[in-house]
Amino acid sequence: MIPTDNDPQNSMESAEAARICPGAKLAYAAMLVGGTVLAATGILTFGLGKAPMSGWVLMAHVSAAPLFAMGLAMVALTWADQARFGNTSSGQSVLTKALLWLILGCGLVVLLSAVTPMTPLFGASGQKALYLTHRYSSIVLTGAVFLHLINLARHR
Amino acid sequence: MHPQAALRKQAREWFCPPFSGRFHAPKSRQGCSHSPVSGPISRQPVPLDLGCSVVIVVLAWSLLICPTGAQGENLKTESRAPYLHHIPLRDAEGQIITLPPAFDDQGKPQEARANPYSTAQTCGRCHEYEAIGRGWHFNAAKGNSKPGRPGEPWILTDAATHTQIPLSYRGWAGTFKPADIGLSDFDFLMAFARHLPGGGAGEPEKIDPKDPKTARLLVTGKMEIDCLLCHEVTGHYNHETRSKAMNVQNIKWAPSIGAGLGTFGGFKNAKVIADSLRPGRPVPTNLPAIKYDRAKFDADNNVVFEVTRRPSPNNCYYCHTSDSRMGDARWHSDRDIHLRAGLSCIECHRNGVDHMVVRGYEGETKDRAITADMVELRVNLLRRDNPAFREEEAKKRAESQLREELGMVETLSCRGCHMGSPRAKETTAQLGGRLASPRPVHKGMPLIHFEKLSCTACHAGPFPGEQAQIVHTSMAHKLGLPGPTRGENTPPVIVQPVFLRGEDGRIAPHKMVWPSYWGWLKDGKVKPLLPEEVAKTEKLPAQPSDDVARDPYNTKPLTEPEIQPVLEALSADKSRGEAIFIANGSMYRLEGGKLTSGEHEAAKPYAWALAHDVRPASQAAGARGCADCHASDAPIYAGRVTPRGPVGASNVVSKTMGELRGDSKRLVSTFAFTFIFRPMLKYISFGSGLIVFGVLVNYGLLGLGAITGGKRAKRTPPTRENDLT
Repeated sequence: MIPTDNDPQNSMESAEAARICPGAKLAYAAMLVGGTVLAATGILTFGLGKAPMSGWVLMAHVSAAPLFAMGLAMVALTWADQARFGNTSSGQSVLTKALLWLILGCGLVVLLSAVTPMTPLFGASGQKALYLTHRYSSIVLTGAVFLHLINLARHR
Repeated sequence: MHPQAALRKQAREWFCPPFSGRFHAPKSRQGCSHSPVSGPISRQPVPLDLGCSVVIVVLAWSLLICPTGAQGENLKTESRAPYLHHIPLRDAEGQIITLPPAFDDQGKPQEARANPYSTAQTCGRCHEYEAIGRGWHFNAAKGNSKPGRPGEPWILTDAATHTQIPLSYRGWAGTFKPADIGLSDFDFLMAFARHLPGGGAGEPEKIDPKDPKTARLLVTGKMEIDCLLCHEVTGHYNHETRSKAMNVQNIKWAPSIGAGLGTFGGFKNAKVIADSLRPGRPVPTNLPAIKYDRAKFDADNNVVFEVTRRPSPNNCYYCHTSDSRMGDARWHSDRDIHLRAGLSCIECHRNGVDHMVVRGYEGETKDRAITADMVELRVNLLRRDNPAFREEEAKKRAESQLREELGMVETLSCRGCHMGSPRAKETTAQLGGRLASPRPVHKGMPLIHFEKLSCTACHAGPFPGEQAQIVHTSMAHKLGLPGPTRGENTPPVIVQPVFLRGEDGRIAPHKMVWPSYWGWLKDGKVKPLLPEEVAKTEKLPAQPSDDVARDPYNTKPLTEPEIQPVLEALSADKSRGEAIFIANGSMYRLEGGKLTSGEHEAAKPYAWALAHDVRPASQAAGARGCADCHASDAPIYAGRVTPRGPVGASNVVSKTMGELRGDSKRLVSTFAFTFIFRPMLKYISFGSGLIVFGVLVNYGLLGLGAITGGKRAKRTPPTRENDLT
């Protein structure tokens, strides 16, 4: 049987759960800080027509990547349950939940398309495909994070 | 048979019967390569009307006695099979060289003396000599072509005065034009004739008899393009004898001597004769002959030239050897991977009749011009195929076609050949894989490397080490000619590989030489002094005669106390400017009577990109991993380059290759430092990715279960057990 939130006991638990725990907040903050640096270095360089990154900008980008990666993983662990579509007690709208799943999906693609080129698995054409995948999934991810943030703020 | 001769023979065979007994070609023309008809002539005379006969007779005469010229005739075999060059030799006047009979009327043996053969007249009979003369190997002095990417300069080297001045007619930054340092074209020719293929400065359009230097060419003859230098097949071309002939200014005799057709037949060399030449006095006409080897000639005075359109690497190596493995270590070298794979130089360094040999670097297309010769040649072809083409129309079409064909040049660069070039007209060239070249995969190599590095950075030259290595080149060190064993300090000292940025912004390996010369500094400009002028000061330390055998290249370093007296002696003439000495990357000058040294623009090294020997992928930089280039001590950044020259290296400051490129030292070291954390970055990224993937899968399955479970619950009929729950 699937538990429902109509149960009074469950409702209390859900209300408790609806409150975002500090760990989840920290994870989200880490992802946000890392993501901001990554977006600033990556998307701005692309936007300014100076891609690909090199030098200090590239180093800043790569330095922020672990923070974002760990933040994303923690967000996945701490936010996923509340973002279940069946979880009505989380206080999150369907759009917010959808955006979180989009963040996690895009984040995974961004992570893998960034780190896979560092392995001897792909040749030049594969690298090019991964590079473009990284670029455009990052843009989608940035947009998703931005909208998710707005939605969270609005529901509070 | 010579194509024109064949035509003549055909014409003669048609008309000889009616004219036999009356027709006599001039003796000098009898050497045409038609074979005398032996035996009865079976062909019957063709009946012709008188008017037609007259026209054809005129045509036949014009074929037989038409004046020779350096412009090629439109007779081609156009086959992939090589044409047997069984042809008559011609002298500079275009006269066929006919050897006197072996015995005279009295039965005395006669020497086979005749004028030296002229390549312009002999080869130029069928090949477009003038157009060929505009090719890269010959056009530098003509100034009618773009300079192209800086290449290897001629280095005027004099061990006694410790001079090494990079020279080029092309005006590459860091080189001097010969005239800038007071070197006439003739001096230039004599300094480098050993490796000059002729043409250009060797063939001035006009010779001024009043100019004492140029007027010598009236005696020595012009230095025509010696086609056999490159195109001879047998390997019997003798560069040493050619070079020796050049040294004594037997210029026009040199091609005959080098080709082994004969020997110099005079008692006095052309130099001696030219020395006695006085302005205004007539040039002697009884110049020495070539004593030809009769065995080289057949009964019709034809000579077989074993030539090819596709010269072998050995021919190229005479002028283009470049080796860091010296002396006994030469056997260590694997040489270029392309040669090992069975290719030869000309597979990539191709050319058309214009001899604009593809240099093979990316972006070369913009450095190549479509010359009037090329257009004219194409116009002729177009109009041959379509006589309705008007001149202007054909010219436009020709230019358009030639522009399209420039795209082919790009396909002969490393990238173009291996990966194809979208600019090429031919689909096959767009696709790449020319000559069965493998398409490189570059697994694990981030794309940024292809934007920041040339292919040669990882694949060409010696594997980079802590220090740039000494390299000897043919043009600089007279390789190919016998001489005392050349060593590490044999001037000019050239080092490689030095990783610098090219004009396209990509890092590429370069060869580098530091200029060294005495000169004058005036109004901020430096003018070098020729070695003979410096020698006049008699202040330079003379090499002890008993030391010459041990150190034939006078490599003993110059000390600062030895520099000062020379500068003091040169300073006597203040009108020419301040006396200076450029060496080892520094400028030495006298300040208040004291010798000082410091950096100066004029002392900066001259560098040119190298592209050979190409190493296989398994030996490329990066084959062992990122640390090949991204370690803190990786040669591409931290490799040291020490200015080399005649001065003792006590106060010479070496620089890293990163510094020479102007890279930020902090950036480079920080970037290298980050590579320590790269494995950690991979672990974190993959670990995080795995967690996110796990969460996505977990909740995805849960969601899927909820959806499918809900549907199943709806489909399940109510039972008592269900009702109870």
